[in-house]
Amino acid sequence: MKINQTVNNSTQFKVLSENQIEEIFYSALEVLERTGGVIYHEEALELFKNSHAIVEGNRVRIPTTMVEEALNFYPRKITLKGRNGKRSLHLQKDTVAFGTGSDLPFTYDRKSGERRRTSYNDVTNAAKLVDALDNYDFFMSHGIVGDAPNPQTYDRHQFMAMLENCTKPMVLTSVDGEGLEDLWKMGCMIQGGEDEFRLNPSFVAYIEPISPLKNDRTAVEKLLFAAEKKIPAMYTPCPSSGATAPATIAGMLVQSLAETLLATVMCHLKNPGMPLIMGGVTTVLDMKQSSYSYGAPELSLASAANTDISKWLNLLMFSTGGCSDSKILDEQAAAEQMMNLFYSYLSGANLIHDVGYIDHGTNASLESLVLNQEMMGMVKQFGKGINTDDEHLALDLIEKQGPGGEYVTTDHTFEHWKEWFLPKLQDRSDYETWVKNGSKTMGDRVKERTQHLLDNYKPEPLEEGLKKELWKVVEDADKRHA
Amino acid sequence: MSYDLGKITETLIQGKVDRLTELTQEAIDSNAEPAKILNEGLLPGMDNVGEKWKNGEMFMPEVLRCAKAMSKSMDILRPRLTEGELGSAGTLVIGTVAGDLHDIGKDLVGMMFEGAGYKVINIGIDQPNENFVNAAIEHKPDVLGMSALLTTTMPRMGEVVNSLKEAGIRDQITVMVGGAPVTEEYAQEIGADLYGANASTAVDVTREYFAKAKN
Repeated sequence: MKINQTVNNSTQFKVLSENQIEEIFYSALEVLERTGGVIYHEEALELFKNSHAIVEGNRVRIPTTMVEEALNFYPRKITLKGRNGKRSLHLQKDTVAFGTGSDLPFTYDRKSGERRRTSYNDVTNAAKLVDALDNYDFFMSHGIVGDAPNPQTYDRHQFMAMLENCTKPMVLTSVDGEGLEDLWKMGCMIQGGEDEFRLNPSFVAYIEPISPLKNDRTAVEKLLFAAEKKIPAMYTPCPSSGATAPATIAGMLVQSLAETLLATVMCHLKNPGMPLIMGGVTTVLDMKQSSYSYGAPELSLASAANTDISKWLNLLMFSTGGCSDSKILDEQAAAEQMMNLFYSYLSGANLIHDVGYIDHGTNASLESLVLNQEMMGMVKQFGKGINTDDEHLALDLIEKQGPGGEYVTTDHTFEHWKEWFLPKLQDRSDYETWVKNGSKTMGDRVKERTQHLLDNYKPEPLEEGLKKELWKVVEDADKRHA
Repeated sequence: MSYDLGKITETLIQGKVDRLTELTQEAIDSNAEPAKILNEGLLPGMDNVGEKWKNGEMFMPEVLRCAKAMSKSMDILRPRLTEGELGSAGTLVIGTVAGDLHDIGKDLVGMMFEGAGYKVINIGIDQPNENFVNAAIEHKPDVLGMSALLTTTMPRMGEVVNSLKEAGIRDQITVMVGGAPVTEEYAQEIGADLYGANASTAVDVTREYFAKAKN
């Protein structure tokens, strides 16, 4: 018998030490006591006024005790259930789920090769692919429904476009508090009432503050509504290092955490115990192009560090990966997407969004979604780590086959090779075979696969009666805003 | 006793080595014609396996298991088949040339040929040129296969072709070459007849070559 053994059931990855996390946490608390944040929402300011916080105009400074108290009330587990009825998404420490990003105004048109405005139809196509591809665990709209009758109600139309072809759990953006209320009503219809939705939420609401340390009216309106109804929500700062946050990653993490902690207190004052998820798209401003970078290595590094912090705080984490600054799906896109997919996965963030983004979060590409399916598979394979039990050490087999022997026909190989990653798009053929098969590039194969899925995949349709009820909510909203 | 050729096909596709041997023996014991067992039982099974492999529905460990099953059945059938009945399932002599200790590539080719019903004589690695010639004289194979994994050992293949000419048996034999650095062009340059880019195409290329030769 052996003693004192440790076995890694997966690969291990961490950016920050516990002492570094503590430094960042204490610094964020210091920011809230010394600098505070601004809030442009009357009810929220009123909540802070009636607490131990100090409110001067729109500026709120928060004592550490309030933060520490609020932090005790957030769940360490949220389970999401899509309209397919499966409680498929367990958000808990070091359990990772991948999903798309949302609201891209443009779409890469596969026929013309040019970008154009995103439509309802583009979102239904993205929904279909996400439903079909098994490495996607949740769906954000990818594109924005740009052809809704009124921009003020686009979010309801977008939810319908998503629901039409995708049965998986979702992360939803909304126009404002009223928009979120409609989405929530629709979610309750799908799950069978408010209580069922609370136990089996089908979506998480995406909400963001404005860095540095600013909370605008609509963001707070959504956040307080989510708190009131206990709708899972992430409040996800999007600081750009060097522009809306310090140019040092540590400084950006401190500020981003302060923004998150302010939200935890605000939600706690409204209604203790809402399922709030920590977030952060933490990256740099490109100093040549003045663009917010989705492909910078600093995004990967800062995001992984942010996830370390979230785990230390016992908060669930919404992170970023599979995204690129490249204008089209090319070598740059593949390199950048692979890097941030890889490290976001290893970090153990719970919801990794923006998978498939190109053109720094402005351009939607269905083909990019298909390429990322393959890359997510590769990344997950790496995460599995290495089994070192007797069967896997294979000593008897090595002895049996001996020097100069072969393994390809052994039972051991027959049983274990299926543990490997099985490529669907990667080409590993020899040169002659590759030429014979048409000398296709990865891009060619991705195009074919995308078309094949769009032509052949049939998602479980939305039940007709329910569909009518849901459209009623959308139509009512359109009437109100006509 | 009775026999079921469909069952033989199915068992072969499943790669059940022992079960297939049993079924083949049972069929013979039930007075099934050996050629019928081959043509209506085994070959349709291997064709199916080959198809599935090409389509990415089956993978090498599975295919090789089927090839092994085929090979074991052929051991029973071969003595009972006439030259004509063997059809395309001939004999292959295969080896790695002198100075080269690489095994697995030529072994895989050999296994795939066994799967196609061939009798395979694997003469091993690091074989001097004369051993190829001697094996060709001794076994009278339909195909002589040579493998080289190193650019430094590739020239041995051309030398063997010349030795076959000198021995006066070059036109009685089909020469196939392969190995990572070898190309179609190189095969032609040294006067080989066939080039197998990998284990699966080696069999296909050979089949096509003999089908053409027949016509």
